[in-house]
Amino acid sequence: MRTLLLLSLLIMSSAAHAQGAAPGWLENTLYGSGKLNAVLIVVGVIICGIGLWMWRMDRRLKRMEDRMKK
Amino acid sequence: MKHWWKFLAVALLLTASIAGLRVPLAPDLVHVSPDRIAPGEVTVTVTGYNTDFTAGERVFLENDSQRVCATSVRVIDGTHLTASFNVPAGMRKNLTDVVVSGLRYDGALFTEALGEGIASGNCVEGHLANSGFVFPNRPILYESIRNLHFHVPMWFAMITLMAISVVFSIMTLATNSLRYDGSAVNAVYVGLVFCSLGLITGALWARATWGAFWTNDVKLNGAAVTALIYLAYLVLRGSVPDAHKRARLAAIYNIFAFVLLVLFLFVVPRLNAVDSLHPGNGGNSPFSDLDLDKRLRMVFYPAVLGWILLGVWMFNLRDRAARLAEQLDR
Amino acid sequence: MRTAEILNVLRLEIALDLRQRAAWGGMLLYVVSAVYVCHLAVKSGLGTATWNALFWIILLFAAFNALSRSFQREDAGRQLYLHTLVDPRNLVLARTLYNAVTMVVLSLLSLLFYSLFLGSDVLAKADLAQFLLAVVLGGVGFAAVLTLISAIAARAGNGIGLMAILGFPIVLPMLLALLRASKLALDGVAWSVTSTYFGGLVLLDVITVTLAWLLFPYLWRD
Repeated sequence: MRTLLLLSLLIMSSAAHAQGAAPGWLENTLYGSGKLNAVLIVVGVIICGIGLWMWRMDRRLKRMEDRMKK
Repeated sequence: MKHWWKFLAVALLLTASIAGLRVPLAPDLVHVSPDRIAPGEVTVTVTGYNTDFTAGERVFLENDSQRVCATSVRVIDGTHLTASFNVPAGMRKNLTDVVVSGLRYDGALFTEALGEGIASGNCVEGHLANSGFVFPNRPILYESIRNLHFHVPMWFAMITLMAISVVFSIMTLATNSLRYDGSAVNAVYVGLVFCSLGLITGALWARATWGAFWTNDVKLNGAAVTALIYLAYLVLRGSVPDAHKRARLAAIYNIFAFVLLVLFLFVVPRLNAVDSLHPGNGGNSPFSDLDLDKRLRMVFYPAVLGWILLGVWMFNLRDRAARLAEQLDR
Repeated sequence: MRTAEILNVLRLEIALDLRQRAAWGGMLLYVVSAVYVCHLAVKSGLGTATWNALFWIILLFAAFNALSRSFQREDAGRQLYLHTLVDPRNLVLARTLYNAVTMVVLSLLSLLFYSLFLGSDVLAKADLAQFLLAVVLGGVGFAAVLTLISAIAARAGNGIGLMAILGFPIVLPMLLALLRASKLALDGVAWSVTSTYFGGLVLLDVITVTLAWLLFPYLWRD
């Protein structure tokens, strides 16, 4: 359910931004140094995403360990 | 050694990521100033990217395949040089290219005093020193071409996980048991992780290249439909309380949706070969028509395989955890 | 697959629909109201692209409205009857066939009302045969997809809302292909260009029906 909410929010926010956002910090970071920063941001997002997944997996295992102890 | 594929996954991801970030872009010209010339003595400053200019560079102007050779070239540093020309009057076209040792900046100079054409100079072509293993340097993309090795594998991993899920769904229907149902939904959950990562990274890359987070594109529609289908799959599961019925209905929907999705992703884009910004669609040159594309592939394929294996590994972990939880429940 | 059995189920469907004529009236009224609302909203002077898009949107929602009844109206008695007497594969083929015919008739009627209320100038320079073919293929395609989806939704015991959620993303690809094909037909493009699109649509329809035929028995057993 959380994934669901997250995804729909994501789609909506990106659709909302599709038209003419004013150039700001995001643009500056994305376009800087031959667009290399766009790559760094993408890699960062992927690592954070996988990290988040690991975190949730960790919580899931922790809950099971707690139940085992009882 | 039954864990070999996990080591393979890490090794592939490591090589592909390092190569994806470290391999330099092919040298190119990025800036020429001034941007207009008139007949007479002209000095032009050229800025290169990843070039390593040395004293022997050959510079000329080209206007409708008629050339003006540089009278003198002065190299400032590896990425800057100035060249002087004696520009004749009577060029045929408005835009003149600047060529430095085989690198061409199209239409760099707006040219005044047009006419019937000029006598073409017999200029030496020259070429830059071989720069080794490089990625293609393309306008609009520039350094962000590296995202090919990070964004695109997300979709490959996702579709692989969804295919795994369909296999478990087929087994659910074939055996009419609950044994494989959990695996099917776990594969979908991990697939959705890659789907979200693909959507976010795609939106960011699109903003950096096409200027908008979301565009109306066949591939993007495909991504949106995929996300909607699997969210609907989860909603369907959530709305059936009986476990056996849920397993059966979800499996049927999964198989049905997956086949149509594959048709949509791989057949319809070829049908609607008109309006896509993605390479290989609608008149956009595919990455493969770049002469250096072999080098992109040498990094891209390991990256794809590595991410697929990592996805399978994540699915494996989640599935085992779910099985343990089931045993605890009993 | 036995033709006789399929024909029997078809006869049953027709008899049922004749008995509850209100259902057909409801579908028609739905389409007419939708067209009239569009007429009120846009008055006149639609471009080809918008005319086309609006038409398919109306058809899409009409399809959801009409086909959601397909398995919802089953009461326990009739379900048991069909369950014991009819091979599920024949049942799904018969239902798909019946729904396809329903959709084609409904689509053509919608087209009639639509061109009456929103102007038929667009159709003047169109290749009418191609456009009608697109409408027919679209009707059959919607029927093929939504028959199985409506069966799933009915089995899940969660009416029309679930059907929209499940059906929409699957119909979307077909809708995009249809929009493209019928736009070309409206522009009067030659058969040599559009034949790939129509070929693709036919392929999509055939695959969908085959899938429904393969999967339905698993849905039907309890």
